[in-house]
Amino acid sequence: MLEVVHSLLFSTLDAMPALVFAALGAVLSERAGVVSVGVEGMMRVGAFCAAVAALVMPTPLAVVAGMLAGAALAAVHGFLSIRWRSDQVVSGIALNLVALAGGTFLLESHFGPNGTPPIQQLSRWDLPGLASVPVLGALGNHSAPTYLALLLPFALHFLLTRTPLGLRLRAVGDKPHAVGTLGLSVAGLRWGAVLGGGLLAGLGGAVLSTSVLNRFEQHTPAGLGFMALAAMVFGRWTPVGAFLAALFFAFGDALRIGLASSVPGLVDVVPQGMLQALPYVLTLTLLTLQGQRSNAPAALGVPYEQESR
Amino acid sequence: MHERLRQALPSVLSVLLALAVCWVLIALTMTPGTATDAYLQMLWGGIGNWPGYLDGAAATVLTRPLGEAAMKAALLTLTGLSVAVAFKVGLFNIGAQGQMILGALAAAVVGAHVALPAVLHIPAALLAAALAGAAWAGLAALLKLYRGVHEVISTIMLNWVALRLVDNWLVIGPLRGVAEAGQSITGTAEIQATATLPRLLGELSRLNLGFPLALLLAVAVWAWLERTRSGFETRAVGLGAEAARTAGVPVARRTGLAMALAGSMAGLAGAVLVLGTEGRYPGSLGAPYGFDGIAIALIGNNHPLGATLAALFFGVLRAGGTRMQLLDVHKSFPELIQGLALLFVAGRMVWLAMLRRRQPAAPAAAPAVVEVPRA
Repeated sequence: MLEVVHSLLFSTLDAMPALVFAALGAVLSERAGVVSVGVEGMMRVGAFCAAVAALVMPTPLAVVAGMLAGAALAAVHGFLSIRWRSDQVVSGIALNLVALAGGTFLLESHFGPNGTPPIQQLSRWDLPGLASVPVLGALGNHSAPTYLALLLPFALHFLLTRTPLGLRLRAVGDKPHAVGTLGLSVAGLRWGAVLGGGLLAGLGGAVLSTSVLNRFEQHTPAGLGFMALAAMVFGRWTPVGAFLAALFFAFGDALRIGLASSVPGLVDVVPQGMLQALPYVLTLTLLTLQGQRSNAPAALGVPYEQESR
Repeated sequence: MHERLRQALPSVLSVLLALAVCWVLIALTMTPGTATDAYLQMLWGGIGNWPGYLDGAAATVLTRPLGEAAMKAALLTLTGLSVAVAFKVGLFNIGAQGQMILGALAAAVVGAHVALPAVLHIPAALLAAALAGAAWAGLAALLKLYRGVHEVISTIMLNWVALRLVDNWLVIGPLRGVAEAGQSITGTAEIQATATLPRLLGELSRLNLGFPLALLLAVAVWAWLERTRSGFETRAVGLGAEAARTAGVPVARRTGLAMALAGSMAGLAGAVLVLGTEGRYPGSLGAPYGFDGIAIALIGNNHPLGATLAALFFGVLRAGGTRMQLLDVHKSFPELIQGLALLFVAGRMVWLAMLRRRQPAAPAAAPAVVEVPRA
């Protein structure tokens, strides 16, 4: 029994970081009032650039390259939605499409349809002393992103709720005119949040190709960006909430794989497809039970015009 | 300039710019000549090889490409309508893909396992698909209305549930078609001849009844939105639910109806795919038509007829795009053109600013902002 709990926990922690980073990026951007439907595309360019960069430089540096690539795509989103007050949903969806088609084109024209050549994965950290502790031992032997993903939600929570900058970021998502009246730059704050969100989404993608896999594949990130959006909404636009939701999704996945492998007779009774649908059905059920109005930022998706009131 | 034209102009310019950018990309990676040839191939592959036809080649050089383009356009029109209708009532339907999966499955089951004469069989299969799609979307609407679950998250989840249950269980399990000796089939049993959508040009092309059906539905949706009371109320809800409620619009009913309609459109897209071309629910739907519908709706400015025009254009592009591969040009260029076009549509403010600079005499159109009282 303990071993089952241990292995479930271990694979949850292994699968979680990409989803957590992307969800946190979405939270950051949306709390400042900019819709982040493009997070899937940002993850894809992050994953691709990290995988390609890792062919010529050390993997940790390649992760940074992936983050920058995510931020670059976010900058296009920022340019359209902040500078030109475009429809943020349209812009985000467009970035997803461009990243999907462009990524496929670049991948196949340079490496072939099977993905990039294998790269050096991020090394795993052995936390001394933990290995022998039951259950808690699952915390050991992960790569750096896992530990970062465990800390970052709380750091972002602190930033958003306990610092003047956080107050301004949240205000710019709820009442941008109030922020503008104070003489603060609405556009500047939103640019910061969007670029920060791009860095985080790029990091999420980079984790996929350097830690979960050891290459960039045709379908990366295969809808994980949309799951991150779901985690953000599920977590009610709060960093810790989104983190817990992402953790829950990752756990659901680990549970499905764990159930199938630890109870051999199960797949004969319950079809694979039903097991695979389980995490999503569970999420829907929980949301239905939780059932309160979402607390999306009031000015989410509304372009800021100083003149309009 | 006519207001309608002014609204549509950014979309048209965006598509042209996307075409130009991709031409440059191909020209840079290959040669300018290849890029031009590739575009010509795409054109002939999409609207038929007119020069060849006029020189006396067989009629198939015209009808086959046109049929393929119409087939793709029908699917894109239906999923585009699905997303556009939901947008009109203020909901973002990411779930067209899942609704299409269920519609396709329902059509495949009714088409294969029910015995009816053709006059009844086709409508029955279409109806089943529409209902299945509507139910799947209606679920999201119910969750939104009564439990406050955001439609983006519920439709994403429902997409995955549909995909897992159908592709990873039903069509490889209970509903799997029985293969004859020496054969292996993926997907459900073949639909009966009575459920097959008739081909409009016989064996010359795969053009089938699905195409006129999609066009007809686009006009019907347009007429409903623009010319009926419930359609007007639906748009009012989309523009401001609280204001509409104050004006006496039954917000919940309009939202539910619009979402069910959106689902039925996506479901019908699945039916057209199964009954028109595939003949069964294949192992998987092949292309993410539901997600393409988002792009189609947005490029078409969320207008039913605009979405139809966008679908027709991208149907041609998609059908012709495969011909580009004859010149070793990569097959994802049509998708890249679609994505870039949407990106440039997102920059419609840039277009409008540029157009305004061209005619300084035009009065600065400041849209009146309606003050919506907040509770």
